[in-house]
Amino acid sequence: MIPQLVTVRYRRLNGRRLWLPVPVLPVLLVLSPLLVLAVLGGLVACLVTGVDPVGALRGAGRLLWALPGARFEIQDGRTAVLVSVR
Amino acid sequence: MNEQRRQILEMLAEGKITADEAERLIDALEREQPEPPPGAALRPKARPKYLRVLVEDNSGGEAASRVNVRVPLQLLRAGVRLTSLVPPQALTKLNAELDKSGVPIDLTQLKPQQLEELIEHLDELTVDVDDADSKVQVFCE
Repeated sequence: MIPQLVTVRYRRLNGRRLWLPVPVLPVLLVLSPLLVLAVLGGLVACLVTGVDPVGALRGAGRLLWALPGARFEIQDGRTAVLVSVR
Repeated sequence: MNEQRRQILEMLAEGKITADEAERLIDALEREQPEPPPGAALRPKARPKYLRVLVEDNSGGEAASRVNVRVPLQLLRAGVRLTSLVPPQALTKLNAELDKSGVPIDLTQLKPQQLEELIEHLDELTVDVDDADSKVQVFCE
């Protein structure tokens, strides 16, 4: 399953907190024209560098499918960043 | 066959006990050692799904640093599979640069299957480093 929600939490030095949930599918839909361009650019880059475009697309898909469950949390003193993919 | 059962059979073979007595002793042994619940031995150990990296650094006093990363093993597998896409000419250039930096590793010899095997065996990996002020833990869950 592709990621559905990416949550970003950020705590600044002054204690202010930012909580940003990003619903992936709606964002992808909104950005789909740019996404198509990016995929086309990627395919051209694959052809130029001699990378198998089908393999690259499959690999990118696998990466996307494997993302749910990933969680990165970094805290340094009073500053903290959390990125969670569900 | 366990040791006690063997002893009973030996006693029977030597004629020290009768067949009835041997049967009763074996029955008593079985009552003492109940069978494991069905499926208990067959149930495989749950395979870990995530690689966890925990780093704690308290050397800065109050300003402690902490890193907590959870990466799905599936993501590592997908990343490893991407390495098979790297064109051979890029690997040759990488090898030359690594050699220049004093790291004589031939990346062309590294096969995707070997990398996948490495990921497969990550299940058993546990790294635990304890210092006075810092702690590093790498494990699968």
